[in-house]
Amino acid sequence: MDIEKNLDSLSQRVAYARDIMTPRTSERLEAVSQEIALLAPTLDHLDIDAALDKIAAISRKLSVLEEDLDQLLTPMDKVRVVRHPQRVCLKDILENVYDNYTEIGGRDEVSIDPGMLIARAYITRRVGKRVIHHSVMVVGQEKGHGQEFRNGGSIKPWGNAKALKYMKVAALENIPIHAYVSTPGSYPIEDYPGAAQQIAENIYEMAGLDVPIVAVFSEGGSGGAEAIALADRRLMFSHGYYSVISPEGAAAIEGKVHGQSRATPELIEKCAKHQMITAQDNLRNGYIDSIIEEPPLGARNEHFDFFKRLRSDVIRATDEVVLSVQGVSMLRKLARRRAKRPENVEDVLIRWELDAKAREKLTWKRYQKYMRMARHAYIDKRGIWEKLAAKHMEFFYSIYTTLRYEILKRYQKKLARVATDVTDEIHVVTSRMDRLTSQALEKLGLLQGGGDHEALTSLSAPACDARLSECSYISPKSLDDREVSCPHAAERGCLDIWARDLFGEFGGVCPNCGYHFPMEYKWYMANVFDRGSVREFNQSIAAGNPTGFPKFDERIKQAKEKTHLQSSCVTFNASILGIRLTCGMLVADFRGGSVGAAEGEKFIRALNLARKRHQPFLAYIHGTAGIRIQEGVNGLIQMPRVTLAVRRYIEEGGLYIVLYDTNSYAGPVASFLGCSPYQYAVRSARIGFAGPGVIRETTGMDIPPDYHSAYKALSRGHIQDIWDRRDIRANLHQAFLTMGGRNLYYR
Amino acid sequence: MTRDKHKVLIANRGEIAVRIMQACAELGVGFVCVYTKEDAESGHVSLARSLGGEEALVRIHNYLDAGDILAAADATQATAIHPGYGFFSENYRFARRVVERSRPMMFIGPSWRVIRDLGDKINTKRLARGLGVPTVPGSDRAIYDEMEAESIGQQLFNYQEKQGVTRPMVLVKASAGGGGMGIDEVHSMNRFRQTYRRIRNYSQRQFNDPGVLIEQRIFNYNHLEVQIVSSRGGLDPIHFGTRNCSVQSPGRQKRIETAPGFVPGSLNYAFDARKVLDDIVRHSLSIAREINYDNVGTWEWIVTPKGEPFLMEVNTRIQVENGVSAAIARIKGQGEVNLIREQIRLGLGEEQGYAQKDVSFEGVGIEYRIIAEDTQNRFAPWTGRIETIAWTGQPWLKLHTHVPQDRAYQIPTEYDPNLALAIIWGKDLEEAKARGLAFLDDFKLAGADAQGTELKSNIAFLREKTKDLLEF
Repeated sequence: MDIEKNLDSLSQRVAYARDIMTPRTSERLEAVSQEIALLAPTLDHLDIDAALDKIAAISRKLSVLEEDLDQLLTPMDKVRVVRHPQRVCLKDILENVYDNYTEIGGRDEVSIDPGMLIARAYITRRVGKRVIHHSVMVVGQEKGHGQEFRNGGSIKPWGNAKALKYMKVAALENIPIHAYVSTPGSYPIEDYPGAAQQIAENIYEMAGLDVPIVAVFSEGGSGGAEAIALADRRLMFSHGYYSVISPEGAAAIEGKVHGQSRATPELIEKCAKHQMITAQDNLRNGYIDSIIEEPPLGARNEHFDFFKRLRSDVIRATDEVVLSVQGVSMLRKLARRRAKRPENVEDVLIRWELDAKAREKLTWKRYQKYMRMARHAYIDKRGIWEKLAAKHMEFFYSIYTTLRYEILKRYQKKLARVATDVTDEIHVVTSRMDRLTSQALEKLGLLQGGGDHEALTSLSAPACDARLSECSYISPKSLDDREVSCPHAAERGCLDIWARDLFGEFGGVCPNCGYHFPMEYKWYMANVFDRGSVREFNQSIAAGNPTGFPKFDERIKQAKEKTHLQSSCVTFNASILGIRLTCGMLVADFRGGSVGAAEGEKFIRALNLARKRHQPFLAYIHGTAGIRIQEGVNGLIQMPRVTLAVRRYIEEGGLYIVLYDTNSYAGPVASFLGCSPYQYAVRSARIGFAGPGVIRETTGMDIPPDYHSAYKALSRGHIQDIWDRRDIRANLHQAFLTMGGRNLYYR
Repeated sequence: MTRDKHKVLIANRGEIAVRIMQACAELGVGFVCVYTKEDAESGHVSLARSLGGEEALVRIHNYLDAGDILAAADATQATAIHPGYGFFSENYRFARRVVERSRPMMFIGPSWRVIRDLGDKINTKRLARGLGVPTVPGSDRAIYDEMEAESIGQQLFNYQEKQGVTRPMVLVKASAGGGGMGIDEVHSMNRFRQTYRRIRNYSQRQFNDPGVLIEQRIFNYNHLEVQIVSSRGGLDPIHFGTRNCSVQSPGRQKRIETAPGFVPGSLNYAFDARKVLDDIVRHSLSIAREINYDNVGTWEWIVTPKGEPFLMEVNTRIQVENGVSAAIARIKGQGEVNLIREQIRLGLGEEQGYAQKDVSFEGVGIEYRIIAEDTQNRFAPWTGRIETIAWTGQPWLKLHTHVPQDRAYQIPTEYDPNLALAIIWGKDLEEAKARGLAFLDDFKLAGADAQGTELKSNIAFLREKTKDLLEF
């Protein structure tokens, strides 16, 4: 009996190892397998001890082999590890790491999203005679060893909403959050709410949750991971991966695969390697804080040592967060440092409830932590003087704004109030005098209501905003003498339009049906803002190739030459009818408007500048295809990073308006764009999380053609309104005057 | 002469296409005629066939499809395009496209900048005011501010009161509107704000522009026109007199035009009519000179019962009623003036060849627009089959029609039911009126529609209106 069991577990270990190494075969593994197969029929003839010895020998051999194989694991093997049905799942962790737990927000199939598991869990700590029960809110994706209804940990928008709800509960109850990330990516549907919309909200709200958050990554796929992973400490399983997109997805994009064909395994392998998705890579790049070592070939639910290690690492991480913000902690910090051995980590008494001051400090530290990330991943071409000058300007602006808006404005308001009071008092006297004199004059027949005639029949002063008649920008599309057909000509009866009219005077809008043809970003620069008011800054922050992705240097260079830009993000100051604003623009021409480290950094700097100058901020999205996958996590991290900067800007009383123009998809929409309370779209916009191809791939659904249209986004409540391209200027001006932002310079 | 190098594509139909074709033939300029399926039986097509043969005919889908027309021009190697009136005649984009495309052609009409600048009524009004030309009292730009709007409204009421207007009225209209949309009148300042707000909100919703114009409403006016002709370059525009177009249908469509605008020699007016005519001619020329007007065009004026003229707008094209001005005009003492011929000649870049002093006027001209319509029933257009159209030729009569006389003609439902233009000349008003009535009595028009209903025309209406022509 015992023998059979042992033998069975041995062959299961072999089968597991074989699964992980799938495309390859290991001779040694096959030899062991052979050995087990040969041993099985002979066991009956042996006595028990001899048999157990033989099995133990094979087991030892297998362990050595597993360790050796573990050294050979490629990034793609690690992807297979985390996806294996035997991989530890969240329930295993809840059972083995925590001392008690209750699932909330639904259980198993009976849940709004069975893939998202929420539990109120306890960690009981014994220090000498004292016993402390730490309560923790555990959220995480549950794959449940391949249970179909868990949907592989791919979370629908309402699953993320549920997670957010209970994370807020945790903030209310002042208990830490432990987030276990184990998702291949979010389920890319646009419903009520859409995937992007909900992830953006999650990230934005998590940025402000003032309780310790510890995230543990097993499988960190893209936006689905970011939806619960904005944390103060980020730990990672040594065999996990954390990436902007699954290697298969990256390969499909890299290899330009469409329809039924698939990317080759070699290409997938290459993408996995170069995106730097493993725990070791991420630690080196600074996107996680530490690695939790797993047993060879990855943790499965029989590895109890692993759970012990996980428990102490999670407790230690939470302790660190608490101590870093707690006022009185010197001795305990020292004690913790002395406790070298992980088992002793529980011996120091640390309470996880934070006081008000510490909670404030916590979010500030979180902001700083993220701002430090990905600094190495872009190219700063500025010279030393430029950098110094920028630093000086920053300093100058800090002083200036403090003086201008914090000190002077208060006095100004007081003064203005007194002044108006005085003038109103005086007005009582002067108006009476005016009336008396005019009455007297009328009686004398001196005053005649003349002048009226003059005003009614002579030329008045020109209106201040004279129509921008002759535009300074000429679209290259308008140069050739050809006719363009409106795509809706058949059903709406539009006549063909001369290219010069269409891309010149009409601004790319069909005069009959209002269909919007795409326009260049320069058209907006010339037509939306006051003439000559655009001042670009941070031009020399350039996109690079931080992961050393093969052949990507040339492609980035090509994009730079083609567009004369250094990255897809253009940041500038401009004015609209005299209101000065800061604008961050994502340009679709530069690698599809994808966002990498340089773009994120430029966005953050622009936001900081707008915050310091008390200007409204316009995020103008000419088009964005998502996060630049070749940059890997360097790009992905921009989602929480920029969102944190946006949150800080909004919380300090700024006005953050997002305007989508053409296709705007994925990461940026699911974070720093989607989190804005004021989002608008031009009629040509399509807004969503994933394109139709990806949706078909992941969900098997064929979506209708208008699935991502601006009108659908409006009906989902993602955007506030749809604008005609020719009205952008007037509508923006109206928005700046009437919306949000208590701390703008012109208020 | 370089005329024979030219080939004019006529981007129009009906009467004007016929006139352009005839003028081209007179000048020795080649032409191409376009027509649609519905117009295949029209007189302008058969005339083109007889004057220019089959190669002068191109069938197109739509008179309003620029691409279609330009493709026809390219296929026939036309060198110029005559837009006629209506359709593309006042479309500056089309004019610009004709001259700026990769195979440029000439546009027989003013240059596109002129069309654009004068096509905007607010711009025209500001241009006029800048030159001291009288315009309707009120705002000359869109008003966005309620306080400003109210003060203009108040001023307008005060002004009219002072002028002794019995029922002062102010018009509030959406500056982005047109064709009767977003326009209303106010008779008292008490109602001004609510009307202003209604129009402003309507305009904001409909056109996304809350600007309004506020003007005096003028009643019982006469509609006068000044005909301007100028060669390319527009340095020395000359005028071809005035017209009075006050006889109109309830939908403000002209029915009878007379030249000159007033006849102070034959009738008595409550004001100095001669001075009014001189003023409007002078003002029109000053604007034409200012903007370098470089083809034929019409300055439209309204004249109040007290004899105040106000400039309304400029029509940057040949007009239907061009013939009535030509009828009374003499160049260097010679009759047989044809303004369409002049337009083509000048449009192709020829010299004017005469000056203002060479243009003189003689007699009175009346133009009747003979239209199949039911004048008893809100001038509803009648469409059907015309069996007979006949008249007696007279030396004082010119009749332009695209309706064939030798066969029956089905009026197409796709286009307006304008049938013929009759231009009558007399040495004075009395004679012209008498000849006009004689013509109307003589003119025969008969037909029936599919239901067998007899043809309805406006001849009785024209006869009725002839009686007190030019009286004011």
